[in-house]
Amino acid sequence: MSTLLIRGGRIVDPANDVDSEGDVWIRDGRVVPAPADPDARADRTIDARGYVVMPGGVDVHSHIAGSKVNAARIMRPEERRGDARAMRRWRDFRSGTIGSVPSSFSTGYLYGGLGYTTAVDAAIPPLGARAAHAEFGDVPLVDKAMLVLMGNNHLVMEAVKSKDRAAVERTVAWLLDSARGFGVKAVNPGGVEQWKQGGARIAGWDDRVDGFDVSPREIVVALAEAVDALGLPHPLHFHGLNLGIAGNWEATLEGMKALQGRRVHMAHIQFHSYGGSPDAPADFSSQVGPLAEFVNAHAGISVDVGQVMFGDTTSMTADGPTGHYLANLTGRKWYNHDVEQEDGCGVSPIEYQDRNFVHAIQWAVGLEWFLRVDDPWRVALSTDHPNGASFRTYPDVIALLMDRNLRDETLARLPEKARERTGLKDLAREYTLSEIAIVTRAGPARILGLAHKGHLGPGADGDVTIYAPDDDRRRMFALPRWVVKGGEVVVDDGELRAAPIGRTLFAEVDVDPAARAALSARLGEAASFHPTNFGLGLEDLSEPLGVRTGARP
Amino acid sequence: MPTEALPYTCTFCGCLCDDLEIRAEGGRVVEAVGACGRERPYLIGIETTPGPPPPCRLDGVETTAEEAVRAAARILADAKAPLVVGLGRATNEAARQAIALADRIGAAIEVGDAASAWPRVVAMQRSGSIGATLGEVKARADVVVFWGCDPATTHPRHFERYSRVGRDGRRAIVLDAGETATSRLADAFLAVDPERELDLLLTLRALVREVPLDPHRVEAATGHGLAALQDLAETLQGARYGAWFMGASAGRGSIELAEARRQAVTALVRDLARKTRFVSIGLGEAGNAHGVEGVLAWQTGFTPGADLGAGFPESWPGESSASDRLARGLFDAALVVGGPAPAIPVGKPWIFLGDADDEASARATAALPAGAPGIDDSGTFTRVDGVSLPVRALRPSRTPGAAEWLARLNEALGGATS
Ligand code: SF4
Ligand SMILES: [Zn+2]
Repeated sequence: MSTLLIRGGRIVDPANDVDSEGDVWIRDGRVVPAPADPDARADRTIDARGYVVMPGGVDVHSHIAGSKVNAARIMRPEERRGDARAMRRWRDFRSGTIGSVPSSFSTGYLYGGLGYTTAVDAAIPPLGARAAHAEFGDVPLVDKAMLVLMGNNHLVMEAVKSKDRAAVERTVAWLLDSARGFGVKAVNPGGVEQWKQGGARIAGWDDRVDGFDVSPREIVVALAEAVDALGLPHPLHFHGLNLGIAGNWEATLEGMKALQGRRVHMAHIQFHSYGGSPDAPADFSSQVGPLAEFVNAHAGISVDVGQVMFGDTTSMTADGPTGHYLANLTGRKWYNHDVEQEDGCGVSPIEYQDRNFVHAIQWAVGLEWFLRVDDPWRVALSTDHPNGASFRTYPDVIALLMDRNLRDETLARLPEKARERTGLKDLAREYTLSEIAIVTRAGPARILGLAHKGHLGPGADGDVTIYAPDDDRRRMFALPRWVVKGGEVVVDDGELRAAPIGRTLFAEVDVDPAARAALSARLGEAASFHPTNFGLGLEDLSEPLGVRTGARP
Repeated sequence: MPTEALPYTCTFCGCLCDDLEIRAEGGRVVEAVGACGRERPYLIGIETTPGPPPPCRLDGVETTAEEAVRAAARILADAKAPLVVGLGRATNEAARQAIALADRIGAAIEVGDAASAWPRVVAMQRSGSIGATLGEVKARADVVVFWGCDPATTHPRHFERYSRVGRDGRRAIVLDAGETATSRLADAFLAVDPERELDLLLTLRALVREVPLDPHRVEAATGHGLAALQDLAETLQGARYGAWFMGASAGRGSIELAEARRQAVTALVRDLARKTRFVSIGLGEAGNAHGVEGVLAWQTGFTPGADLGAGFPESWPGESSASDRLARGLFDAALVVGGPAPAIPVGKPWIFLGDADDEASARATAALPAGAPGIDDSGTFTRVDGVSLPVRALRPSRTPGAAEWLARLNEALGGATS
């Protein structure tokens, strides 16, 4: 039994409606009520008087493992050469390289260094799960989970076509269980399959996918229903049609409407909120207004932003046609990898420039989202790492949210035409500390359905980040004074002290043995591998932690 | 152990067939259902009950595991410029430990025989790559090209499992120096002078881009008439889903031009992908070089080699890779994971971790016996297309596996690595 007392800090714990001075007690990795005995002592005490105490950060949408992430590392040595872009070996900690896609240990250290203790990889094809889980085992300090791609899955689409809800449910459960995933992701449903076939592009919700005779609408509705029927903690995680393309906002709105009130999480919504039309690039504009209005009116919808920050980064997506489009747009090197049965990935370098009209609008669109969604519990901070920018820019994003002047300063140096095409200049809202705590931890934890994360009440994970208050918000959030993971101090004054590997969260779903056998046999006919080698066991996961599913309270 | 429920994975060639069924009787393998003609004779007769454990050795003399680990750790701890090499047949799990060790001692590490891996990786770093898992080819391809390679000989089940030559009306085209077993089964064959491979690729690309070409110059550069190449370009563009397969060096020409050839293939495939779907994929090599390369990339950001000597990963292709330093004697200790071990100059201490029967076990300063994955050891291998698959032992192991030996070395060098 080891206890840690964090004494006298300003506890910002919006999930428990707390914003006041107090103590946090952690025993054996979990937050516990303060002992009844006023003289009780802890094994270690942190004197947090004058500091701000928050739960560990939770990233609901990031890309930290798997073939696309590793391809980006291999493809881009130019951004990881030299001392300044590397992490040195230190004590027993591993060395690594940074760039827009850090190596695995560095990813964990850097997330942990920012006070983040949970990160979800948002796009793993079922067949890529074995490799991604192995990689998770080398990402310390954060608990990890993966969302499993299913929006273009052949067996899912066959089940959707049959209009048999139970069949969709069985297929989703089997895929999720086989990959030991945490949630279900749909990316350009049907559109990636159609592109792989070389067919006409899927641009609307009622277009048909050749060979499967289903529409994106039917796929996404069926998946959302299955996720709810299985009682998964996290709603369908949804990346819609026409990502990044001018004029896509209407399809985004129609996609949300298609779900007819079912709960859904809209991923990197910034990339789906553009006015104009593909044929008239000069008409590019922000259309956050009507979309945010719809989100505000529908409690079952949450979003993460996918904020763009200016600088060099790497785009990576399971949306193969979008990857191809982007690479052709920039003319830069392109990695593409089609994965049988489901999606694949496209990776290409990209530099967001403040002088660029489109990039400037993308930057503003992201911020508009943060400021136009009334309920901060339903908007999560993300850069869609590394797509909009690295997660290392989170402190900069936070500073922009808390400070209108900072936003105006940046706005002032953007192309004038871009300034007029967004509503950012009229948004005076400034985030409070408590709202920052919501969009960076409490909200994402709630969106993920993780009752033990994102707060500091009894039973919560002993993951705590302690900041020194600072008018320079960027500095405040970039350099937490202490970071505690599972009750252990892992960062102290900017120095790494310990690097526990963290847990791998997965959804515990029941799969009917007969369904498993039938689906496995179907897979075996089509696949290039033995279906027995498809499903993962717990021994294939690093520190697995099952999350219960089923009837939701 | 492989049971009826668990299929056996063959690591003998890049196909990494994971669907074999091993039958044992009387302590020996008596049947390997699904194995190709090359692999089957090798598997049949393998003993499935382990013999006595082989010893560790120091300078060829038998010793205990504790002594050997202690001595090996001392060699590594004392080294100023150590190398970690081999690893071409290591499991992904062993690779994780080997890289941790290299990081701890500041070694230069390189995966397998990286002569063909460097040009592949550097070409990818310059222009990317456009590929797919083999199941995509199996399911979708209607045109399959074999460029300077002969899978019918080297990858016996490639046609059956992946490229499906001769089925579903798909067209197979072979471009190679001369007729091969593959070309005899293909629909079309075009002879390519290995010295003119690059010219041919560039010409094909120009045709796909619809650049007007002078027939005489085409003939002079490639040895083929414009009309024949135009035909070929039409076939490629007419594919619904085309797959371009090639061997480790992307053709039969000189290794110096391998990187240029790879870039040319990627550029050609990218141009084809503007008009239709097209991918290029390697045939893959025996062992697990692709898997270990992947692990090295995720842990350090670089592959197929990284120098950890400065305290952080560095990689400058063409300059002082581990194999380079090995050849030039620029090292003071080496850890060789798996055979065949290179020649090591007298006076430089080195550790061999691998098959006890390998001649290196007698030669090395310290030898730690580890069974081969797929025979004595289990773990994960990664196919050339990035698909990771379990590799299962045929029999209970007589010794710790390579991953475990490496973990012990890491521990002896100063505790667990986080
Ligand atoms: S084709 Fe290759 S991997 Fe498959 S059984 Fe034969 S040797 Fe083994
Ligand atoms: Zn994403």
